[in-house]
Amino acid sequence: MADVLPLRLWRRFLALPLESRPKTLAVAFAVSAVCAALVTGATVILRPIQEANRAAETQLRLEALLSAIPGMEQIMAEAGGDVLSAVVVDLDAGRAADDVTPATIEAALGEAANWTALTPEQDVAMIGRRPDLAQVFLLRDAAGDIALVVLPVFGAGYNGTIRAMLALHGDMNTIAGVAVTDQSETPGLGARIEEPAWQAGFAGKRVADEAGRIRFAVASGPAAGPHEVDGITGATRTSNAITRIVRFWMGPDGYGPLIDAIRRGEF
Amino acid sequence: MAARLWQVLTDPLVRQNPVTLQILGICSALAVTTALDTALTMAVSLTVVVVLAAGIVSAIRRFIPSTIRLIVQIIVVASLVIVIDQVLQAYFFEISKRLSVFVSLITTNCLVLGRTESFARNNPPLPSMIDALGNGLGYSLVLIVIGATRELFGAGSLMGVQILPTVDQGGWFTPLGLMLLAPSAFFLLGGLVWAIRSARPEQAEAAEHAAPAVAEAGR
Amino acid sequence: MTDPGAVFFQAMLVDNMPLTLFLGLCTFLALSRKPDIALGLGLAVTFVLGLTVPLNQVVYAALLAPGALAWAGFPDLDLSYLKLIAFIGVIAAVVQLIEMLLDRFFPAIHAAFGVFLPLLTVQCAILAGSLFMVERQMGLAESAVYGLGSGAGFALAVVMLAAIRARLAYADLPAGLRGLGIAFVLAGMMSLGFASFAQMAAQ
Repeated sequence: MADVLPLRLWRRFLALPLESRPKTLAVAFAVSAVCAALVTGATVILRPIQEANRAAETQLRLEALLSAIPGMEQIMAEAGGDVLSAVVVDLDAGRAADDVTPATIEAALGEAANWTALTPEQDVAMIGRRPDLAQVFLLRDAAGDIALVVLPVFGAGYNGTIRAMLALHGDMNTIAGVAVTDQSETPGLGARIEEPAWQAGFAGKRVADEAGRIRFAVASGPAAGPHEVDGITGATRTSNAITRIVRFWMGPDGYGPLIDAIRRGEF
Repeated sequence: MAARLWQVLTDPLVRQNPVTLQILGICSALAVTTALDTALTMAVSLTVVVVLAAGIVSAIRRFIPSTIRLIVQIIVVASLVIVIDQVLQAYFFEISKRLSVFVSLITTNCLVLGRTESFARNNPPLPSMIDALGNGLGYSLVLIVIGATRELFGAGSLMGVQILPTVDQGGWFTPLGLMLLAPSAFFLLGGLVWAIRSARPEQAEAAEHAAPAVAEAGR
Repeated sequence: MTDPGAVFFQAMLVDNMPLTLFLGLCTFLALSRKPDIALGLGLAVTFVLGLTVPLNQVVYAALLAPGALAWAGFPDLDLSYLKLIAFIGVIAAVVQLIEMLLDRFFPAIHAAFGVFLPLLTVQCAILAGSLFMVERQMGLAESAVYGLGSGAGFALAVVMLAAIRARLAYADLPAGLRGLGIAFVLAGMMSLGFASFAQMAAQ
């Protein structure tokens, strides 16, 4: 007896016209459920592969950046090593973070407490809030002094976030090279910041002048000095974004404390 | 039956081309054609989405109440697009970054919804999928032509392979920067439409006004 | 948030949706033969964009963004991959709601809009507005200004194109260029003109 009732209800349900409210709701619900399951399944399965892609790409960029720095082999030979050490630094304090390692930095950055909100005056790179921890790469020479530092930087570009890695020589003022790891700028124009030909213009440029004022800029035209890099024609806003990003991260709200600490030899 | 299906497949290539005649799917035809590889990826993605969407909508066409038919079609297409987007990010990472938001915009691509709404809703799955394939191929044809032209004259390369050595690389070719900007795509498509309609005058639109037949004013 | 006037004019002129970003072109080209129809379309697009972009911003920030569900106790959940379906759902609902409200309270306007409103559910410009809002990480106020600005830009472009095409009705065009062909060429020239706005917003 109990079996017949659900069966009868089901048959009555099936007999309803398609346009009736219960059937409409049922179809809507069924379609949504199936689609949501399909989409979620695909995302969950593919997520590890996507993250591996991103990590592999960052690693590739790092290697490409290092190989593109002029005189890199010489720097490596002088340092007597061929491996960069990855260090998690505390940006405000300008020293290595106490209890965060490269393996745990991602989890640490998931907590809102490890981000600092920026005031509009400070927020030159237009990122809203700045992470308090960053994973940087150091190369030391035979004497133990720092020969090369690779700093990850990011900021608002014209059409999305631009992420890059900036390599500085041991004087913490001369740029060794730059690699752009992520951008969504206009193809053929702003997206040319990913071209090696343009990035090569960064080598040897200085960030600040003798008085310590940050003078780095992407020029609107050919570079006109040791602090400028050639601009990209037709990509003014992307070029300005790069200028802002470098200035922010080289400044007191970015890696400034770390740079000062390295100069003082505390590292 | 086979002849009928063949016609369904080949009509949208030139005679009923979705972009140049039906005015469908134009947005992405212009936005992603700065290079041939992005154009190809977009063409393949859209063709896959439209064939699968047509198949699915046609398979469940008897079970969709007419009040929610449009939103059901959209949900099906949106889910397919999300899955394709995830697959692209997993296996074709470089290209997926360059396509960025336009893969997501396949969801509202009028070509996909136009075919599901007008053909797949009223026909069995196999003809629907073939019609979708035909339209996808017609769209791909336009994308490939525009993409190849823009990349060749805008950067001197095709699929990343340098064909015309540019001045920057020590060659003779000065790239036409306009080809990488928005207006060139409009001009190229206009030219393409003109060429097709000159070759096939039956596609040309009628004039809106005919000059009245009046004898020329005498002296 | 940066100056709302700057955001508005940037969305309207510099990042013009049909002419610079290639969005919403099917309706842009198909419905730009007569200026009064074009005006109706432009107003509808502005209205819908101005409503859906901020609404989607709220939905995204509260439900879908990575870590957004912290208020419900799921701080690790990242549902951003569902944004496409969610945005489309919101847009379809908003369009349906606007249609019902207009039909009930302003039947004359509803009759004037005709078939445009339902058409806007599937217009790529409307969805793109919400997707750009996510990509550029906008706040609520900025989303509203951006939506209105983008809509205004679309309206401006479509009315201008319609005005020119209405005049071309008397022109002696080659048969192959009539209609769609010349519309593309005109859009290209307008796009070149709008490109001159790009330097205006250079910071």
